[in-house]
Amino acid sequence: MALNRRQFLIGASGLAAAATTMGLGACAPGSSGGGSQGGGNQGGKTSLALAWWGNPTRNKNTQAMIDAYMKANPNVAITGQPGDFTSYWDKLATQTAGGQAPDIIQMDMLYIAEYGTRGALLDLGSVDTSKFVEGTVDSGKINGKLVGVNAGINSALIFASPKVFEKAKMNMPDDKTWTWDQLIEIGAEVASKAGVPFGVASLLQSDALFGTFVRQHGKELFTENGLGFDVPEAQAWYDYLLKGQKAKAFGTPEQVSEEQPKPLDQSAIVVGNAAMQYYNSNQLEAVSAAAGEQPKMLRGPSLAGKATERKTWYKASMLWSASSKSKNPDAAIAWINWFANTPDAANIDLAERGIPPNTEILAEVKPKLSSAQKVVAKYIEDIKPEVGETPIAPPPGGGTIQTVIFRHGIDVLFGKTSPADGAKQFVDEMKSNLKV
Amino acid sequence: MTDLQTTLSDETTLTGPAPQEAIHHRPTGRDRARSAIKHILLIAASVIMIYPLLWLIASSFRPTEVIFRTPGLWLNDVYVENYTKGWYSLSYPFGQYIINSFIVVVGAIAGNLFACTLAAYAFARLKFRLRGLWFAIMLLTLMLPFHVVVVPQYILFNALGFVNTFVPLILPKFLATDAFFVFLMVQFIRGIPKELDEAAVIDGCGHWKIFSRLMLPLMGPAIATTAIFTFIWTWSDFFTPLIYLTDPIAYTVPVALRSFLDATAGSNWGAMFAMSVVTLIPLFLVFLFGQRFLVKGIATTGGK
Amino acid sequence: MSAISELSTIHRAKAKTPEEKRLLAKEAGRDNKAGYLFLLPWLIGLVLIIGGPMIASLYLSFTNYSLIQAPEWVGLANYARMFDDPRLHKSLAVTFTYVLVGVPLQLIAALAIAILLNEGMRGLPFYRSVFYLPSMLGSSVAIAVLWRQMFEVDGLVNQILRKFGIPATTSWIGDPQYALWTIILLHVWTFGSPMVIFLAGLRQIPGMYYEAASVDGASRWAQFRKITLPLLSPIIFFNLVLQIINAFQAFTQAFVVSNGTGGPADSTLFFTLYLYQRGFVQFQMGYAAAMAWLLVVIIAAFTAINFYFSKRWVFYGD
Repeated sequence: MALNRRQFLIGASGLAAAATTMGLGACAPGSSGGGSQGGGNQGGKTSLALAWWGNPTRNKNTQAMIDAYMKANPNVAITGQPGDFTSYWDKLATQTAGGQAPDIIQMDMLYIAEYGTRGALLDLGSVDTSKFVEGTVDSGKINGKLVGVNAGINSALIFASPKVFEKAKMNMPDDKTWTWDQLIEIGAEVASKAGVPFGVASLLQSDALFGTFVRQHGKELFTENGLGFDVPEAQAWYDYLLKGQKAKAFGTPEQVSEEQPKPLDQSAIVVGNAAMQYYNSNQLEAVSAAAGEQPKMLRGPSLAGKATERKTWYKASMLWSASSKSKNPDAAIAWINWFANTPDAANIDLAERGIPPNTEILAEVKPKLSSAQKVVAKYIEDIKPEVGETPIAPPPGGGTIQTVIFRHGIDVLFGKTSPADGAKQFVDEMKSNLKV
Repeated sequence: MTDLQTTLSDETTLTGPAPQEAIHHRPTGRDRARSAIKHILLIAASVIMIYPLLWLIASSFRPTEVIFRTPGLWLNDVYVENYTKGWYSLSYPFGQYIINSFIVVVGAIAGNLFACTLAAYAFARLKFRLRGLWFAIMLLTLMLPFHVVVVPQYILFNALGFVNTFVPLILPKFLATDAFFVFLMVQFIRGIPKELDEAAVIDGCGHWKIFSRLMLPLMGPAIATTAIFTFIWTWSDFFTPLIYLTDPIAYTVPVALRSFLDATAGSNWGAMFAMSVVTLIPLFLVFLFGQRFLVKGIATTGGK
Repeated sequence: MSAISELSTIHRAKAKTPEEKRLLAKEAGRDNKAGYLFLLPWLIGLVLIIGGPMIASLYLSFTNYSLIQAPEWVGLANYARMFDDPRLHKSLAVTFTYVLVGVPLQLIAALAIAILLNEGMRGLPFYRSVFYLPSMLGSSVAIAVLWRQMFEVDGLVNQILRKFGIPATTSWIGDPQYALWTIILLHVWTFGSPMVIFLAGLRQIPGMYYEAASVDGASRWAQFRKITLPLLSPIIFFNLVLQIINAFQAFTQAFVVSNGTGGPADSTLFFTLYLYQRGFVQFQMGYAAAMAWLLVVIIAAFTAINFYFSKRWVFYGD
């Protein structure tokens, strides 16, 4: 009897697809000869896999850099692996577990110790960092070994919206002399006069501003032995945020909670709901484009009212690392050297990742920067006298500080816990995260 | 074929009356009122159901800066650049990613239909030793969160050299790893009266004939459901393509959509929304088309 | 009612005499060759693709495994630690609430709409697609952004409530007390999948049963109780079991709406979200594996209970 259509389809597909799977699978576009990625030589060329996270702009820039490098070094073949920040780390962890980590890895300060202390990163001591601005090299060192080369400098600060201040008929605050309490006063005033929910937004999320707060109290966020601060500092911070909330300077707890998961394009200062907001310097261009106006860059406050004592630091917005299991370590190091020390790379990247730490490169690239990036470069330069010692990279488990400080802090702001209890829980959880 | 069956086979048309209403031919005033109320409720519910989609579509016609400042649906200007430029914003024209997704999805559907029907027939109709144990194990595979299985599986596929290919995305389907569909089909088969099997056995059919000639046609709705769900779930799967596909040219749609976003700097939300809308269209069409097979019911069960 | 009762006796579980039981036992094992042949693809898959990794994950649960370095045996330490882990307890509470509230709500919505749509009406394919649409969107980042926006203090939901004169000042998404409910609502909104399965099941009920019942003078409600529910019970059972299994493992919606944090204040920290944080963000895959197996035990218990009680209300054709 004749097969009906469904039977035929299922039978045929069963046979065909089994074969096709193998065929299709092996011939998936991009898998040069059977799925090995990077590492190893193919046809006489040294091949490298280069992974980064970014948006379409950075992807285009990085691909252009890869092409330029390959043109200048015809015996090297680089395959790019772009991704987005959130899923990048899941993928990297899985690849590392499987022994397939990319040769060159874009790295973040939150994760560098996780990978560095476990031997996953190559020693980059042979990369030339002699022309780097002081304080920008050490952040990439784990236990004295350089495992990450600074790919761009940034610093934590506060953006202020000229439009909102104008609406409140107030001048921009003097960020060289203001104290934490003045931040509350000014925030409360501008919020009420301009009718915006936030005088200052996203303070609870800012582990960096908390870091300056802690350092102004004579402690550190992290030391070699673990947590560098304890309950008094944490409680002082929570007390401070609660004070700001009561003064109606920092928004209501509901607003603070709603703001936290929002992406940059939806953040309070971009949509006009905040007079000031915590940000990093290298995000000026993105925020300007999204908000339609360029925010003013304000230094964070200090206890003493003196900017030179605010103990800020040059942060590496991201770093370049290499896999310790790379089959072509020298080629990887050569590329990182090229990125850090040649104008060719910087001319393509144009400070998109942050201000180049190599002073000579920066000088050469500066005229080509966009106006926003020029403002950022000037700011980074201006704050040089205020920059304190570079803190050590967050040790394994320390990268969680952003979420932990927020989680306990929001309970305090909602009034569910006292600042003392919240601070204790925060510190206890950090200590247990660092221990394991 | 009795008169009863010929009447019932009319049921297979899309808009024909369903079993109950085939009986009552005279719409009373009460029926009309009830039908009107039903339609009003359904339309209201529909609006609630699709409001988010409408917002997505409306937002896709706004530039990124405007999207988060305008919560409403009304469009003042229609901004098509999200579509025209968005298509080319990534490393490859977006069509490349759609094609990749199609390849994976077609393979997955073929695999599931092939393997799950076989396994379901075995569990539902055949008596073999340890059947209960294997069935329990099959259910067990559904209960383990995939995040802890993913790393050992990755290591396995890596050892076989299948990373950066579509094999890890398609091969498991041919081995009935989607226990959800096996169980679904088992339930459907168990709803089919055994008398039909017995009639076939009397006619001299062996297991393969019973399976292919009797079961498969009767399992129409289950097969259609499996195909549709496999399509939609595989199309939207993010994590597996994320870890197995390293070369952007092989990315599937969900991974490509994420490339528009960057948590640390500005993202191209407008383009991402636009491409999301574009990739919804195949899903919607598949469902619209596949519905017909869901409707073709078991009209021929009156086989006495 | 005689026609209905006649038909339904065919589908009721039969009592067996000792003699019949012996014969049946002999029959079991009769289809060995055919059974294993049909099962072959699944068995291969089990051994190659699922079994190995599952056993590996069980092994990992007894180790400290950072993903970056090789696993290190620690025995029962991970399991012991679970007792002292307040976030784990919180995640269990969150997940149980979600399962016990969300699953019934979603299934009732799915069944109600499926029955409504099964009656045949104008525009049926349109309605069916419309009600299924949310399921296609459910895990998209774009919808998560909108969902957050809708439930903010000044979002769409509160705006509508205010139009009805209700003073709505809560932030449904920002307040730890209510955030979970927005996710439950999101789950109920995506009732399309079980609805489609119910529809397929409803369509499989032979029309002649309803005809015979009408001939006997049965009301629509009696038809529903005596025909629809029993004959649909295998599918109801399926949806119940699988929705519970899936709900315990719910991840994506909470992940995209809370941006991976499980916030605010862990109020949306689903069990698998916490598992993911421990495994991938904190590089404690061994602990995550232990958590996974704890979940397997919980889900298996619920499933076993389901199967046990199913004998009382599920009717099969065999």
